[in-house]
Amino acid sequence: MAYKPQYGPGTSVVAENRRKQMNPGQKLEKVRSVTDEDIVLILGHRAPGSAYPTAHPPLAEQQEPNCPMRKIVKPTEGAKAGDRVRYIQFADSMFNAPSQPYQRTYTECYRFRGIDPGTLSGRQIVECRERDLEKYAKELIETEMFDPALVGIRGATVHGHSLRLAEDGMMFDMLQRNVLGEDGIVKYVKNQIGEPLDRAVAVGKPMDEKWLKEHTTIYHSLVGTAYRDDTEYIEYVQRIHSLRTKYGFMPKEE
Amino acid sequence: MMNAAFPQIRLVPIRMLKPETAERLLNMLAGITGIRRMMVQGPGLPKVVPYGPARGSPNPHSDRKAIHIADAEVALRVQVGMVILEVEDASVIEEIRSLCDDFFVEFPYLLQEGKFMKTAPTLVDYAKYGPDADTSLVGLTDPRIGESPVIIRTEQ
Repeated sequence: MAYKPQYGPGTSVVAENRRKQMNPGQKLEKVRSVTDEDIVLILGHRAPGSAYPTAHPPLAEQQEPNCPMRKIVKPTEGAKAGDRVRYIQFADSMFNAPSQPYQRTYTECYRFRGIDPGTLSGRQIVECRERDLEKYAKELIETEMFDPALVGIRGATVHGHSLRLAEDGMMFDMLQRNVLGEDGIVKYVKNQIGEPLDRAVAVGKPMDEKWLKEHTTIYHSLVGTAYRDDTEYIEYVQRIHSLRTKYGFMPKEE
Repeated sequence: MMNAAFPQIRLVPIRMLKPETAERLLNMLAGITGIRRMMVQGPGLPKVVPYGPARGSPNPHSDRKAIHIADAEVALRVQVGMVILEVEDASVIEEIRSLCDDFFVEFPYLLQEGKFMKTAPTLVDYAKYGPDADTSLVGLTDPRIGESPVIIRTEQ
């Protein structure tokens, strides 16, 4: 019987969203469009239009050792061209942001190839070849995994995910990389590490509360779905917790 | 020595305040007689990027600006998240509560009673400021910044 991943337990909308994001068979809803040049500007790794700097010669020009693994695993576009490894990092507010660090890592591992995600409590970084990174970043920003107000693209000084929101609904950012304009559109005025951009990059309007509540992957008893209301999830987590605690004593399921 | 019996309260709006809103709130509070000390607290907005690859470059931020409270000018260096107050007696708290109930209409706030600022100098304060330090000013500002608190004179 072929293995079919279940992605996660739970009956709540949050659990459903988590499964949806992780399942590569499900297409993520495209919510906004950001041009390739805008992505390059926000990332700040190279000037838009410039050639990709390389870390090694393209694989086609290299003498590859006779290795069975290399024959099975096809290199990604970036690896093929010998691109540098670069990163994008996100900070997600706890107030119903559409994704969160662990979720991002799971999702990326299921959906993308050739990545190295790093998961922390308030931020999540993903490293990969530059060419692939731009492709993945575009997907992460354009789809329902992103919200202009509650998700920050922050390479450094990420503080803010657990703070109260500002009056206008924006997540706190010490470097104010993104600002909510008079027209209601959020624009990035600095790249992800806080260097001012030559022109502002619009990433669309913040989503409304109802949409966020329906698309979030974070449990929050005050502003969203309470964790304790999802009994199946609790049962699963308690089972894992119990089993791993008993692990040293050779657990046997009753 | 300060009187430790002075009640202290903390105003915690559920959203962090813009400088304009903070200015209105603080001016409203400054009009109340019976407030001894007031402190604004929140996450910092530094003038230069403190760390990361862009460290040392200027950090323009629209929320870091000077606001006017009564006759004094206060240069905000934080996004206003909380206001901590020390008042003369419990009746002032009720006055603050009734004013704040009218003030916070777009989002809720919490008014908490407790101990939120120093009432006596600590050993470190003694080492830093010596035996003759003004105890009413101790603990009101970040000692690393080196700026003294702003004194607001209200009409008596």
